[in-house]
Amino acid sequence: MKPMARKALIAHLAKLLRTKGSWSGETHVQKSVYLSQELLSVPFDFEFILYKHGPFSFELRDELASMLADGILRQEPQPYPYGPSLVPGPLAELLETKFPKTLSKYEGPLKLVVNQIGDRKAGELERIATAYFVTRENPKAGINERVEALVSLKPHVSEDEALSAVRYVDRLSEYVRSLGI
Amino acid sequence: MGSFWRVLLKLLRVAQSFSTRILSRLAMTKSIHEVRDPIHGFIRLDSQERKIVDSWPFQRLRHIHQLALTHLVYPGGTHKRFEHSLGVMELAARVFDVVTSQENLVDLSELTRRSIPAEEQRRYWRRVVRMAALCHDLGHLPFSHSAEAALLPEGWDHERLSIAIILSNEMRAIWTDMVPPLNPLHIAKVAVSPKKVKHLQGYGVEVAYSDWEALLAEITVGDAFGVDRIDYLLRDSHHAGVPFGHVDHFRLIDTLRILPRTAGDSKEPVLGIEEGGLHAAEALLLARYFMYIQLYMHPVRRIYDIHLKDFLEAWLPEGKFPTDVVEHTKLTDNEVLTEINRSANNPASATHELAKRLVRRGHFKEVYRRNVDDMGLNLDPGAAVFKALQERYDPSLVRRDTYTKSEKSPEFPVRARDGRVMSSYGLSVVLKQIPVVSIDSVFVHPSHSQDARDWLQRERENILRSAEQPKED
Repeated sequence: MKPMARKALIAHLAKLLRTKGSWSGETHVQKSVYLSQELLSVPFDFEFILYKHGPFSFELRDELASMLADGILRQEPQPYPYGPSLVPGPLAELLETKFPKTLSKYEGPLKLVVNQIGDRKAGELERIATAYFVTRENPKAGINERVEALVSLKPHVSEDEALSAVRYVDRLSEYVRSLGI
Repeated sequence: MGSFWRVLLKLLRVAQSFSTRILSRLAMTKSIHEVRDPIHGFIRLDSQERKIVDSWPFQRLRHIHQLALTHLVYPGGTHKRFEHSLGVMELAARVFDVVTSQENLVDLSELTRRSIPAEEQRRYWRRVVRMAALCHDLGHLPFSHSAEAALLPEGWDHERLSIAIILSNEMRAIWTDMVPPLNPLHIAKVAVSPKKVKHLQGYGVEVAYSDWEALLAEITVGDAFGVDRIDYLLRDSHHAGVPFGHVDHFRLIDTLRILPRTAGDSKEPVLGIEEGGLHAAEALLLARYFMYIQLYMHPVRRIYDIHLKDFLEAWLPEGKFPTDVVEHTKLTDNEVLTEINRSANNPASATHELAKRLVRRGHFKEVYRRNVDDMGLNLDPGAAVFKALQERYDPSLVRRDTYTKSEKSPEFPVRARDGRVMSSYGLSVVLKQIPVVSIDSVFVHPSHSQDARDWLQRERENILRSAEQPKED
């Protein structure tokens, strides 16, 4: 995907998150892009590693900083205990008008992800995305094995939370498969 | 001489010989060594750690300028990676000691504490963090060159070279000789930015970060409180004479804590701060912003970087630095400077003109810098102006420099005085207002710079409106 088209798609994602009523913090954008790319094959082409807050892309972080600097995104403060939201900035609309085909092509997958995780809290997003990361790394592993792997990497996640996240990821993957994506 | 005096003299000689032997033995077994440093006072290291400092890959850093050619703009900025690396080690240990001390962990919930190793293991990790901090810059090219993407083969950068050196046979021998022996893979993982940890895949290392490893990486190279950054701001500020970088790092470090991530439901342990240190944190992040604007992004410094890259591409075999560890460690700023001077003094040299720009102040002049108003006319105004100027003059007389600081002002947890853990953005108006540093400049040869400025004054809007805009396939 061309760099400007990718920025347009990220700005559009921020808009969709906002429309869904999401807090739309950086974690929401990171995890939405991660799942769109890895689960739904939207070709953002970011590299993710398991770091703080689960799968994380430094390239995406840089891209978001660059979009803030250019006025394509802006930060909006939120009340305690939330961090700021990332929302479309003054240049987002102009950018979106340049890439209508790209936005239309990936509108469906982005909406699916936003509907699934847009209104979740940051901790839930970490767990879900980490569960998906662990599942991709160990595609043949059973539920218990993946729960163990998740807790071993992220000991601050309880066994119950990890189990719930792994089960959710399995259901989501099944749903995506049923759509033929 | 009477017998009494003879006996006394003999006794004195024996005593002197004995004390000399004792002193010399003590000197040989001295276990703590001190290095006087202008920023941190005394930096202390033990004999095992000193073996790393005495190794050639580390000694080489004495000959790598921390700020490349910045001394051509700020004459005091001639310090080297050597002292910076020692400073980072010193600060890493101070931060580690503060955040892992028992009294600073007591308020953490059980889930958050689960990520932190027991005290006896923490001694091992303290040494890992110190050594990672010490070695984090070993892979830097001559002049710490920011254009390393162009000067190294594809897939290489200084972090990958740092990893290769840390894992080299010469260094492995020192790591395994330490008590307890250190796993060089642990050191490599904490030494490089997590952004570059993919380079470890080739060594069979799990590139996923556990909570604990992510915390250690935050201490060394983290966005908010990484000690690499704290040291270079203090040191660059001191040497270059730009006071913006001077922050109250004593207060800052004393108030750093491991805290659960702010956002309500996550118990993830991350590096945060007590509310009492919030102003010091604000000062640190503002210092970073101002140092970037004032010093690191100074247009003359930036164009000298580009001129140096042009010279190196022309001078190096196939335009690239070597990636073999032994060959890498043979090259320092000294070899490059010698060649620049030789070329500048030899009109027959193929790199004569490029070298002259560097040593005789023949740098190009900035004639355009992007702004948000121009982006309303063209989404990529820097590219439009660059292209127009290349068409007006010989393309070799025009250069473009783009840079965006890789992260926005970081968000971190703050423990308020009432015990609640809150977002730094919720408590500090300053932190959420710090802009992202981003530049896009166009430079022109001094013989055409005034003409270029006059022309842009007249034609800028037409150029931006008529230039091709980014479009879909």
